Amino acid sequence: MKKNKTMIVVFLTPAVLLFLGIFLYPILKTILMSFFKIEGVTDAMNLWSFVGLDNYVKLINTSLFRTACYNLFRIWFFGGLIVMSLSLLFAAILTSGIRGKKFFRAIIYMPNIVSAVALATMWLQYVYSPRFGLLKSFFEALHLEGLAKIQWLDNEHKFMALLLAYCFGMVGYHMLIWLSGIERISPEYYEAATIDGANKLEQFRYMTLPLLKGVFKTNITMWSVSSVGFFVWSQLFSNVTADTQTITPYVYMYMQIFGGGNTVTERNSGLGAAIGVLLSLCVVLVFTVCNKLIKDDDLEF
Amino acid sequence: MAKTKEKEPRRPFNLKQELKLAPGYIIILLWVIFTIVLLGWVFCASFSTTAEIFQGKALKFETGLHFENYAKAWNGSGVAGFFGNSLLYSVVSCVALILVCAPAAYVLSRFDFIANKFIQTSFVSAMGVPAIMVVLPLFSIISGMGILNNIPLAKGTLILLYVGINVPYTTIFLLTFFSNISKTYEEAAAIDGCPPMKTFWKIMFPMAQSGIVTVTIFNFINIWNEYFLSLIFASSDKLKPVAPGLYGMINSMKYTGDWAGMFAAVIIVFLPTFILYVFLSEKIIGGVTGGIKG
Repeated sequence: MKKNKTMIVVFLTPAVLLFLGIFLYPILKTILMSFFKIEGVTDAMNLWSFVGLDNYVKLINTSLFRTACYNLFRIWFFGGLIVMSLSLLFAAILTSGIRGKKFFRAIIYMPNIVSAVALATMWLQYVYSPRFGLLKSFFEALHLEGLAKIQWLDNEHKFMALLLAYCFGMVGYHMLIWLSGIERISPEYYEAATIDGANKLEQFRYMTLPLLKGVFKTNITMWSVSSVGFFVWSQLFSNVTADTQTITPYVYMYMQIFGGGNTVTERNSGLGAAIGVLLSLCVVLVFTVCNKLIKDDDLEF
Repeated sequence: MAKTKEKEPRRPFNLKQELKLAPGYIIILLWVIFTIVLLGWVFCASFSTTAEIFQGKALKFETGLHFENYAKAWNGSGVAGFFGNSLLYSVVSCVALILVCAPAAYVLSRFDFIANKFIQTSFVSAMGVPAIMVVLPLFSIISGMGILNNIPLAKGTLILLYVGINVPYTTIFLLTFFSNISKTYEEAAAIDGCPPMKTFWKIMFPMAQSGIVTVTIFNFINIWNEYFLSLIFASSDKLKPVAPGLYGMINSMKYTGDWAGMFAAVIIVFLPTFILYVFLSEKIIGGVTGGIKG
């Protein structure tokens, strides 16, 4: 036992130290910072001045920040709808017995391993290009001049363009989560259902879907965690520093604290910290609501 | 689980049955074709010229293949430097992550002690924490110490950050892996008089090889593509990895108007993870869900 104790300590120390230094300490300090007004990020603690909830109030009263939150909500909600339904559809098709399942699965997941900067550039500079873009040539080939003329990157369409490109990259990951859930369901259930005369669609509606409740929860949690950090895509899709169509809380924070530009109204790292706390609360909220609404233990399989 | 399914014998071709699946085939094929066209066109355009791209003739190669796009992007736009940085960060961080996390995961999977559950829960929750929650204090410390002006020291610090950020995920991933290895091996080693630490490095570590390889691939891809932290901490061009480097380049390409060169740079950044994926896609896909649900 003595030996085990030294082993436990020696083996755990590096990982735990890194965790304390890179997660626990910064998280606690960020929470603390959100209650202070801090002129420079590097200011020592004695230069901070306590302002209570002022930072939060100020954020909520800033229209640009509200726009950022609204954009994030739109990405989370509409993007979530698109990604969840497409990924579930693809998972259902791939498990319906089609040939080349492994190949299709590999291609659909592939965008997830590509650098987001590279992927976003492909969409921006090729798919949406007003001169040689894929969408333009596609609609021209179909003689749909009206659709071919759409400027995908103007203010009116930019958000939709951003959302579609982002969703394209995310579908594969969520499809794999659905797939792992569907493949866990015993084939005997389907055999029994087939004998009882249920067709494929009925089987999907009345068996697969209810059995996937737990997987749905995992998917929503993962989607929320990744969309909260929405940053690269919006930075690439915006031409100006504070683009109201694409700005998200991360971009707003980055602008306020690290980016220069004329949009910075006030130097205050406390505001950035408060944004972090608000976003974390959103993740916790989604997680709790999901756990309350979806109990996955009432079905054993 | 996936494996047992795929070992089913090939079913004979039955037109009626395949026709029933037609809507599924069509939807999947459309998506797959779009993906291939997207990547394929960008790949071809990177060998074309800007003039040809603008005339919509990027796929015709009337003036031959232009490898000089790559040479220009590699040397002229500094991709070589970003690429080297990314390679250094990813490789060193991946090795360090295994050395740090494999022993921790092993201990957490094998021994009962007071803090065990607590550490596991902390690590799992850390995976859901947005990066914005840790960036400000870390930046304050690191930039306060003036580290970012000293290039070698700054590179070391960046590696430390990449390692730290990925510790929870790597540990939890390996933990589920070690829990699935039978305890009889250690018992046999103990009877033969092998000390527990030696048992780990000589017996358990090699046995966990396939899990270690999988998690290393994921760490490599994550660190290679990492953007937010790199943008904040690697402010100078000498420190930048490929993702923020490419972003800066794209911005300047807009002014120089070298579209062919820009697509070449995109392909250079895209290739390493893509090649990894071509050879290891089965392993990667199998590992995605392994990391989430133990």
